[in-house]
Amino acid sequence: MSLFGRRERDIIMEGIWHKNPITYLVMGICSALAVTVKVETAFIMALGVMFVMAFASMTVSALRHQMPVSIRIIVQILIISILVIIADQFLRAFAYDISKQMSIFVGLIITNTLVLGRTEGFALGNPPWRSFLDGFANGTGYGLVLVAVAAVRELLGNGKLAGLQIIPESLYGAGYANNGIMILAPGAFFLLGIIIWIQRAISGYREER
Amino acid sequence: MIDKNSRAYVFIFAFLVCAVSSFTLSLVSEALRPRQEFNADIDVKKNILKAARLQEPLPAGADGAAVARVFADKMEGVVLDLQGNVVTGRRPESLKATEALLPLYIYKDGGAPVAYVFPVEGKGLWSTVYGYLAIGADAITVRGISFYRHGETPGLGAEVEQEWFRKGFEGKKIFDVDLRRLRPVEIVKGRVVDSVPVADRDYYVDGISGATMTGRGVNAFLKERLGAYEPFLARIRRM
Repeated sequence: MSLFGRRERDIIMEGIWHKNPITYLVMGICSALAVTVKVETAFIMALGVMFVMAFASMTVSALRHQMPVSIRIIVQILIISILVIIADQFLRAFAYDISKQMSIFVGLIITNTLVLGRTEGFALGNPPWRSFLDGFANGTGYGLVLVAVAAVRELLGNGKLAGLQIIPESLYGAGYANNGIMILAPGAFFLLGIIIWIQRAISGYREER
Repeated sequence: MIDKNSRAYVFIFAFLVCAVSSFTLSLVSEALRPRQEFNADIDVKKNILKAARLQEPLPAGADGAAVARVFADKMEGVVLDLQGNVVTGRRPESLKATEALLPLYIYKDGGAPVAYVFPVEGKGLWSTVYGYLAIGADAITVRGISFYRHGETPGLGAEVEQEWFRKGFEGKKIFDVDLRRLRPVEIVKGRVVDSVPVADRDYYVDGISGATMTGRGVNAFLKERLGAYEPFLARIRRM
């Protein structure tokens, strides 16, 4: 059995594309709305979720034969929250300004249905390495959508991309105005809808009847 | 074969998981503490500089060391007693919460004081709001204000951090020159132009809609803190 055999590659592609957590499972939407005003915060959030999901799935999977069924949910939540606190602590130590903007949202990774969904739905029935890949791939799939939404919102809402002014000042002088709805939550709703539509059109997903 | 659903097993498992988790967390927290404390300290310094509105503002991407350097260069930390005397030989960093002494930072430019900056903190609506208030060299005019830590509602009370709100304080007065008495600047409900007579507008700041309670909290602690520093400020005015 190789580290990246056929099954492992399938797991990665499913998490990122075929069964992308946001466009296919429509999970973790609340944080996708909250942290996507700027690319920077979306990117940090994505890294946080990737880290938490990969290691939470791996740990849960490693303990899956020992874990008593009656307390499995609370043990999973415990593992997830420990990882989230670790991620938050690292942010405070190495990216203080960002952590000040994001702290509540980082804390809310604990309640992101996506993380528990993958530990409960995948890690409990699969070996640690595959679970790690599954968590990582789903985190990546989630993160890519997040960054895509944030890029559009920041560009249309603030005229910037990752903090750099993209839309030239002269255009503002000529009467161009930023689109205010993009920095509000409804803007993210519209964009998510459009992204889900496009992604499903390309990947050929059909709602089961 | 152990019965994984027996009560004893569940207890032991839960205990072990908790023990390992707590150990991991305290390890991470201890290892990262020095860096976090350094960051928090720099954040406070940045905040003091922001309230003082430096004549040459900090460069946008200034790192911790640069902030500390500018701070040491521009800000002189002193300690006051409750009568407004400078306590010699004490620095604000060495103050303990239990002492009846007040920290004060004097922003000097070319030897002359430009602003007196001191901490203002107290209850907002949900949380304690921490910030700094800078009073100009005349000890009457507000130079700037900034808030750096709170747990107010994002979009409502948390707007106290925003520039538009903080800017409202600049140039306002804390002292009524005609009546010769302290008159702390206050946040109104809504906009000043709608509710305050022209003659009084120097003492009022636009409120945040949806955050009237946070504003009341800020008013209360500004008044309280200004009262505490008044003996010192009164001396400056006499000079």
